[in-house]
Amino acid sequence: MFKEDRDHKKFTWKDLGDLEEGRPNLGQNVPLLAYRLLQYTWRDVMITELGADKANDIIIKAGKLAGAQFCENMLNRELHFDAFISQLQRVLKDQAIGILRIEKADLEHMRFTLTVAEDLDCSGLPSTDEVVCQYDEGFIAGIMEAYTGKPFHAKEIDCWASGDRVCRFAVRMLEGAK
Amino acid sequence: MIEEAIEKLAILLQGRIPEKIDGGKITDEGEHKLSVLLNQVFSFMQEIHDFVIPLSRGKLDEIPLPPPKNFLGSPFKELHSHLLHLTWQAEQVAHGDYSQRVDFMGDFSEAFNSMIISLDNNEKILKSKIGELEKAFAQITKLEGILPICANCKKIRIEGADPENQNSWVQMESYISERTKARFSHSICPECMKKLYSDFVD
Repeated sequence: MFKEDRDHKKFTWKDLGDLEEGRPNLGQNVPLLAYRLLQYTWRDVMITELGADKANDIIIKAGKLAGAQFCENMLNRELHFDAFISQLQRVLKDQAIGILRIEKADLEHMRFTLTVAEDLDCSGLPSTDEVVCQYDEGFIAGIMEAYTGKPFHAKEIDCWASGDRVCRFAVRMLEGAK
Repeated sequence: MIEEAIEKLAILLQGRIPEKIDGGKITDEGEHKLSVLLNQVFSFMQEIHDFVIPLSRGKLDEIPLPPPKNFLGSPFKELHSHLLHLTWQAEQVAHGDYSQRVDFMGDFSEAFNSMIISLDNNEKILKSKIGELEKAFAQITKLEGILPICANCKKIRIEGADPENQNSWVQMESYISERTKARFSHSICPECMKKLYSDFVD
């Protein structure tokens, strides 16, 4: 899977291995430190090798793939929107991925504004003008795409830090997707 | 410049936003840097002021958000975000969705979640009561309409049954008992008592 050249994605949920049995002594949880170390070093090398735009593009695409797989394997897609969001909030909290809060939801036009607090990628980082949550952008869009079957776009539009850092995302179904 | 800075800071401390210091006239490098920083503080406070005043009046949409670099505005943005989220949650509850929960928002979470649980329970109780009433109502409606009754023996004909068939006719007690919760205990009225058992009546 990782050594051959190919132009299509092959990742499936089972590629994560048996998480129950894989680490009988250390368990499934790892510190945030390990996650950030992986993501930020990977990102740093990608920027130097490929340029910032290409690196960000790859991170968004990876997030989207992760979001879609997460939705297909961790969430019940049969639920109506309100129950789905409630479930998503609960699962993200239980998995310690982040605290999701919906601010606005326009179901007719499939546009949402939401925030993620205590996020895996950016919580604790100083608030700056720079958008850093590209992986989250992809992850959120991927979840919505897998849930609705329609293409989605998510963009970080604001962030602030009062204690933890909170990021606000605008999520919308892409034009002409109805 | 120091005099001007003191004057403008005093205005700020009175809750008003001062005009910016005109840095073009300042020649001292240190004072110029100070004026730039003070002007930034004034800008931040202006942005916060423009954001918080409508927010304090309950306006949540279409208000100018302080930009990310305005770190002084962060707690207000957090409050605004929480209010938006609570508003959305309240709308969900209004639409009958009791699955939502508010997490990690202190007293808000506790009060809001208790309210949702309480509303959910009350609605379940109400729905149960309505079900019971509908059941009772259905029993009552079973006795609506014109009942065909035998002019002599007072038996009632079962709805839709063949009038020529004797089995279609049942005792009134049996008919009513099957369709309501009413039960009959047999007794005898004074007139019938006199008619049937005149020997025992004075």
